[in-house]
Amino acid sequence: MDLYPVWLSFQVATTATGLTLLAGLPLAWVLARRRFAGHDLLESAVMLPLVLPPTVLGYYLLLLIGSRGPVGRALGALGIELAFTWRAAVLAACVGSIALLVKAAQAGFESVDQRLEQAARTLGRSEWNIFWSVTLPLAWRAVVAGTTLAFARALGDFGITLMVAGSIPGMTQTMPLAIYDRVQANQMHDANVLALIAVVSVTALLMGLGRLARVRF
Amino acid sequence: MLSFSARKILPGFTLDVAWEAGDGVVALFGASGAGKTLTLQCLAGLVRPDAGRIEVNGRVLFDGADGVHLPPQQRRLGYVFQGYALFPHLSVEDNVGFGLRDRPREERRRRTTETLERLGLTALAARRPRELSGGQQQRVALGRALAVDPELLLLDEPLSALDPPLRRQIRDELGAIVREWGKATVLVTHDLAEAFHLADRIVIYDQGRVVQAAPKSELLTRPASEQVARLLGVRNILRGTVIKATPEIIELRWQGHVLEAINSPARRYLPAADTSVAFFIRPEYVRLIRKDRPSPDPGHHMNRMEGRVVGEVDQGTNWMLRFKLDGVEPPGQDGYDLEIEVPKLVYEMLEIARDRRWAISMHRGSIQVLPTS
Repeated sequence: MDLYPVWLSFQVATTATGLTLLAGLPLAWVLARRRFAGHDLLESAVMLPLVLPPTVLGYYLLLLIGSRGPVGRALGALGIELAFTWRAAVLAACVGSIALLVKAAQAGFESVDQRLEQAARTLGRSEWNIFWSVTLPLAWRAVVAGTTLAFARALGDFGITLMVAGSIPGMTQTMPLAIYDRVQANQMHDANVLALIAVVSVTALLMGLGRLARVRF
Repeated sequence: MLSFSARKILPGFTLDVAWEAGDGVVALFGASGAGKTLTLQCLAGLVRPDAGRIEVNGRVLFDGADGVHLPPQQRRLGYVFQGYALFPHLSVEDNVGFGLRDRPREERRRRTTETLERLGLTALAARRPRELSGGQQQRVALGRALAVDPELLLLDEPLSALDPPLRRQIRDELGAIVREWGKATVLVTHDLAEAFHLADRIVIYDQGRVVQAAPKSELLTRPASEQVARLLGVRNILRGTVIKATPEIIELRWQGHVLEAINSPARRYLPAADTSVAFFIRPEYVRLIRKDRPSPDPGHHMNRMEGRVVGEVDQGTNWMLRFKLDGVEPPGQDGYDLEIEVPKLVYEMLEIARDRRWAISMHRGSIQVLPTS
C-alpha cells in the first residue's frame, strides 16, 4: 500500500511547525510584553482560525494565494506556484495551528515574573539576550506544550488543506485526506493502517514531549 | 555622592521627591505605597520619570530637561529586588555571574569565585535558588548585584521575605556585608528599626513626598514636624499653647500647667505667643517622683505635676503606664494625658500595681517642641 501520505504529512507538519514557531514566538512575546494601540485587536485576530470553520478559512486563503489572488499573482510573477502544491498544505497547516502556539506561549511568557527580566536588565543584558536566557527558559514548558498541540493540529488538518492544496494523490494528499479517500473507495484495510499510524505517532509524540516538558527548575 | 530628584505622575499617585545622600547607607523609610520602590525603579532606569535629575558620583543617569535617560543596562547599579528575583533556572554560581557576561572568560570566572567566597556561598555554588534558605537566597541576590562592582547598591525591603526570628540575624549579616563591601547603598524599608539599624541617613517618605531627610541621630530628637513625629511612631505627641518663646526657652501652657522646654539651639524656633504648637516627650523620659526621697532642692523637679495611673500595658521588659493628671477634663489623649515607660524592676520596687497616685516631672531638655509645618 502507498505510505506516501504519511511521509508527506510529517514533512508538511514539521515544516509548518517550524514556520509557526518562527512567526508565533515573536507574536506571543509582543502580545505578552508590549502594550500598544491595536493590541486587543491583534489578540482577537490570532484567535480567529480557532473559531472560524476550516472551509471558510480555506476559502479566504485560496482567494489570497490562488492564481488570481494578490499573493498568488505576486508569487506567480516570481515563478513560484503556491495553490494546490505541498507548500499550500504547509500554509494551511500553519494557519490552522498558529493560534494554539501563540496562546500557549503568550500565557507562558506572561507567567514569567517581570522582575526577573528587570533584574537581567540592571545586570546589563540586552532585550534579545533576556528573551533567550530568562524568558524562554522559564516559559519552556508552555512553549513545548503549545508546539506539541500545534504540531498535532498541523498533522491533522483536513478542511483548510483540502481547500487550498486539494487532495492530489502523490502530491498534496496528506494523511487525513488519504484516510477520507480510502474510506470513500471502501479500502478499509488501508484506512485502518493509516489511522493507526496517525494515532500511534501522535500519542508517541505527546508522551515524548510531555516528558521533556517535565524538566523542573 | 547621589543626588536624586524626580517627578512621576501615575494614575492615582504622584511621586515628587528630591534628596541627596553621601557614601554610606541611606534608608528610604515610609509606609507601603509611599513611593519608595518607585524611587528605586527610577534610579535603576526601569521607570522613566516625567521630570527631574538623577546623578550618581558625577555621572548623570537621568535629566528630564536634557532628555538624558540611560537604559538600566548602562547604569551599573546593583539592584536587590524585594523577594530577591533570583533566576530559578540557574545555579547559584550562574546567578552570581549573570551580570558578567560581557567580561572576558577569565575575569568572569575569577570574579564569580571571589564573590561566592566572600559571601560564604562556595559550597552552594551548584544549588538552585529554590534549594536555599531565605538568608542564603539573600546572599545570592547580594552577590549577583555586587559581582558587577556597581556604583550604588539598591536594596528593596531586603528582610521582608524572612520570618521574624531569622530576621534579626540576617539583618546583622546584611549590615556586615554592606559595611565590608563599602558600597554606597540605598535601602528601602517600612521598618523603622531596620532603617535605624542599617542606615546612616534616613529619608522619610509620605504619599509620594519627602517629609524629612536627616542623619538618623537627628531624627528622633528633632523631627521636622508633627507629621514626621507621627510617622516615626513617637508617643506622647501633645498640643499646647505658647506663652512665650526665646532662643533659649519655650514656655507652654498644657492641661492647666505651665511647661518649660529648652529651645533647640540648632533650630531657633520662635513661635508667637498664643499659637498652638505640638510637642512631645518620650515616655521613658517622664520621671516618677519617689515619695520616700525628698528632693534636694525645690527647683530639682522641673515641670512638676500630679495625677494617677489609670492603666498599664505590659511591653515585655517594660510597663507602659497611662497617666491622668488631676483636675483636668477631658484628658489630652484617649482617656489619659501621658504615657510613661518604666522598667519592670522599677514598677515592682515602687509597687505601682498597688500605689496609683504619683507626682511626675519632666526635664525641660526632654520636651521637644515641633515646628508647625
